[in-house]
Amino acid sequence: MASLLEVKGLKTQFFVRGGRVRAVDGIDFRVNRGETVGIVGESGSGKSMTALSILRLVPEPGKIVEGSITFDGRDVLAFNDDELRKFRGNDVAMIFQDPMSSLNPVLKVGFQIEEAMKAHDRFTKEQAKERVPGLLSRVRIPDPKRRADEFPHQFSGGMRQRVMIAMGLSNEPGLLIADEPTTALDVTVQAQILEQLRDLNRELGTAIVLITHNMAVVASICTWVVVMYAGRVVEQGPTEAIFAAPQHPYTWSLLRSIPRIDEKLGSKLLTIKGLPPDLTNLPPGCKFHPRCLFAVDRCLTEEPELVTVGPGHESRCWVQMKNVKDPDADLRETPLVADEEAADAAAV
Amino acid sequence: MSTITTGLNMGGPMAPPGTPEEVDYSVAPEQVSLWQDAWRRFRRNKLSMAGIVVFGLIALIAIVSIFWTPYSLFQQGLGDITDPFSRAHPFGLDASGRDELSFLMRGAQVALEVGLLTAVTTSVVGIAAGLLAGFFRGWVDTLISGITYIGYGIPNLLIAFLILFITNRPSIVNVIVALSVTSWMDMARLVRGQTLALREREFVEAARATGTKDFKIMTRHVLPNALGPIIVQATFLIPQAILFEAFLSYLGFGLPNPDPSWGAMVSSGLGDRFLAYHTIMVPALALLITLMAINFIGDGLRDALDPRQAK
Amino acid sequence: MQQPSESSASVEPSAAWTAEADALVSLRDVYKTFPSGRQTVRAVDGVSLDVLQGETLGLVGESGCGKSTLGRVVTQLQPASAGSIFFEGEDLAALHGESLRQMRRRVQMIFQDPYGSLNPRMTVGNIIGEPLANFGLAKGKERDAQVQEVMRICGLNPNFNNRYPHEFSGGQRQRIGIARSLILRPSFIVADEPISALDVSIQAQIINLLEQLQDDFNLTYLFIAHDLSVVRHLSDRVAVMYLGVIVEVADSLELYDNPLHPYTTALLQSIPVPDPAIERDRRPIILRGEIPSPINPPSACRFHTRCPIAEPICSEVRPELIDYGNGHLAACHFAGKLQGSLAQKVAEQSTEELRVAIIGDADGTGSNGSDPDST
Repeated sequence: MASLLEVKGLKTQFFVRGGRVRAVDGIDFRVNRGETVGIVGESGSGKSMTALSILRLVPEPGKIVEGSITFDGRDVLAFNDDELRKFRGNDVAMIFQDPMSSLNPVLKVGFQIEEAMKAHDRFTKEQAKERVPGLLSRVRIPDPKRRADEFPHQFSGGMRQRVMIAMGLSNEPGLLIADEPTTALDVTVQAQILEQLRDLNRELGTAIVLITHNMAVVASICTWVVVMYAGRVVEQGPTEAIFAAPQHPYTWSLLRSIPRIDEKLGSKLLTIKGLPPDLTNLPPGCKFHPRCLFAVDRCLTEEPELVTVGPGHESRCWVQMKNVKDPDADLRETPLVADEEAADAAAV
Repeated sequence: MSTITTGLNMGGPMAPPGTPEEVDYSVAPEQVSLWQDAWRRFRRNKLSMAGIVVFGLIALIAIVSIFWTPYSLFQQGLGDITDPFSRAHPFGLDASGRDELSFLMRGAQVALEVGLLTAVTTSVVGIAAGLLAGFFRGWVDTLISGITYIGYGIPNLLIAFLILFITNRPSIVNVIVALSVTSWMDMARLVRGQTLALREREFVEAARATGTKDFKIMTRHVLPNALGPIIVQATFLIPQAILFEAFLSYLGFGLPNPDPSWGAMVSSGLGDRFLAYHTIMVPALALLITLMAINFIGDGLRDALDPRQAK
Repeated sequence: MQQPSESSASVEPSAAWTAEADALVSLRDVYKTFPSGRQTVRAVDGVSLDVLQGETLGLVGESGCGKSTLGRVVTQLQPASAGSIFFEGEDLAALHGESLRQMRRRVQMIFQDPYGSLNPRMTVGNIIGEPLANFGLAKGKERDAQVQEVMRICGLNPNFNNRYPHEFSGGQRQRIGIARSLILRPSFIVADEPISALDVSIQAQIINLLEQLQDDFNLTYLFIAHDLSVVRHLSDRVAVMYLGVIVEVADSLELYDNPLHPYTTALLQSIPVPDPAIERDRRPIILRGEIPSPINPPSACRFHTRCPIAEPICSEVRPELIDYGNGHLAACHFAGKLQGSLAQKVAEQSTEELRVAIIGDADGTGSNGSDPDST
């Protein structure tokens, strides 16, 4: 089955005075119709820039320098201005982390949703206006007719995010990209938003790309996971495989460094030593090796390619976790004290 | 809240592979301080750099004039006013036959002295008032703000006249006092605004939480972070003061004779403007160049100190 | 101090609050209100709490619950509007001026924002060393030595004490903040969301650092956060806060296994776990409505407007915090009712309501305008 979105060899770079920042450095992934894909990473991973690249919204001084983005068989990078306008908000919609800055504070909410529809000539002005209360009730905003006449500041954070979702869905896009949609929200509100996204995906068939740093959120609604680090895909595959048997040491370490609400008390968290990558100054070889507990000599000099480690499951590593004997027993924690004696003592 | 980031990590370079992990070396060996960063930006502004050069020249002339001028200011009758620019008198003579160049040089000294000293006193008073008002708020703020508003209400010239009249002894000090009394309010308002904003910042809260006393918080935490706009405003105080002083001198409220102030020169040259326009043009031009130079410097400083600095 | 009027509040602390012998910090009937225009924000609305010597007490809640305000009131960075804060027997709320300042040697705070909590114009060494100067404890070389020592303890390179904060990363800056709070060797530290602003891979570093420091320096923590997973990991006991009041307090394990307050149940069930198999079956309880404003909180039980098991009494009588055994406290007339199969049923019902709202419209039948949400 032809995929809905296909990204191949995408490279997005920023040209700043210090040199070139390779925010996205050659990534491949695809989103099938009706699928929910999670892109996981932290600062410097390039996950947000990937989303912006798909919509060709990369801010200056950035540019997409290489690669292809295909949506429904069409070449996104070759769109002229008119096609691009028809594409954004219509074929692919995006919602951002902070709904307050995405909504115009001086325009009524209903009007903004209407605008989103009017921009694409799919509905007449009257039709658009009629659809608004329906869209708002679909994202569970009570009293939708009255609330459509209100301004963004009269909504709570969670409700504003739901308004954004309503706006994103107003043109019934095939794909919704959500960039950290729940990071700024309370956990009970997050549960609601995630449920909504899950139901929208199931009932409307809208594919979702969910960008987040939260592995638990990914486990919650995504069927496919793409793990990014330093602008590259370091691991991707079906959700079950990634969580049950992560092959890349970054994924593996990450899963062991986050506290879980259901963990045994007294369990120790694995610390990933070092800092998130500095994209202006990346190390040679594997970009993760300075922080990796399982690095071997080859990792310092040669960057690994993506290797298939299971059905649909790829990982960019020379070692691969499945080849590490008893990794949990070998947990060398980062010593907290900055001197060598403590380091030696901790390594024993 | 995340904004669109480029992924730039300001924390410094990655560890070279193979180095021991215990030490947190991940701070770059060479980073610019906030001041160096500002200086770099300032240097790129050509007008401002030109301003600095010109100002430097003027300052040089001013300093030299303290020790030497081609002719003494008291020397009169050196020639005819209608004698145009000559080798002996590059800028001609005034109605009393005094050398314009010597007056010009001394005028620079007066201008800079008045300008700089006024800027300094005004700033000191304004900063103190603004800090106290913004930090303690309450009745202190009401009192100080009240005084500032009253000060705005009364015309500057009136206050200046009053002071100069009361002291009845024209001197540089009195002129400076008169100027300062009329201009500290702007600085106070600026500093008050900055203080009100800064006192809410988390690092000020943290300073309180670690037992820092109020005075130290004001001087060590609030003031250094407000310096940017303060410096810019202080810079613009200089031309403001120079111009005001020139105006006072023009009206005859300046220094005793021989008054080398450029304003006084214009005033005395006014009567002969048809006979010898250079007596007005020369000091007026001097004023113009000096004021422009300092204004360019101020503009450049404002851009350089703009708080869009790297975090 | 005057207590704001409250229907059934007595001046005596309720039975659950007998003085704990080993309580380092005891809050009794603490209130904090802010004027907002002509109205009053009731940020902290009658909180009594104990923090035991040597423990980590976690304080969780969502936006607007008042936990950050409570943290600042405990450290007296904000004065309490009413109530007492006993620390080592002394009522901090009654201290002023110099005696209050002296107290800061023993009660310290770690702040949330690693970028905003450090003065950008001061060197890191001066930031960390300032507390020593404030109390005249050390000067010159002695001070530098102590600063470098505490930097080392917190995992920072002591040679960087003459650098400026902007040269460090977020995680390192947070370590600087921790070092600053540690240098006076306090006995009690209030940590206000110390890791929320950090990258996930760095959070574990700081969590482990805080645990290590607690062991090494015999610290007592009040750990304030919105992430219950993190709080549970670090804390011995957890207090749950909602709209200015404490609704439940229990040991970490006990809270998760046996939540007594319906809000706690709903909270726990909303938290995703990094395990797709569990997630597939997890049904969160979708609470109705939005969090009410602290300017006009609901009467009696603050949670009754959104509670799936609320009854008329809940809007009439404010529930007190009662001990249900082993120090497990809950403020609910129906404590323990929303658990197990009932909780599951409620969860399924609420997610179904949500789903219907969505497909109802996809079918074109449209919403009939009436909604189950009441705010």
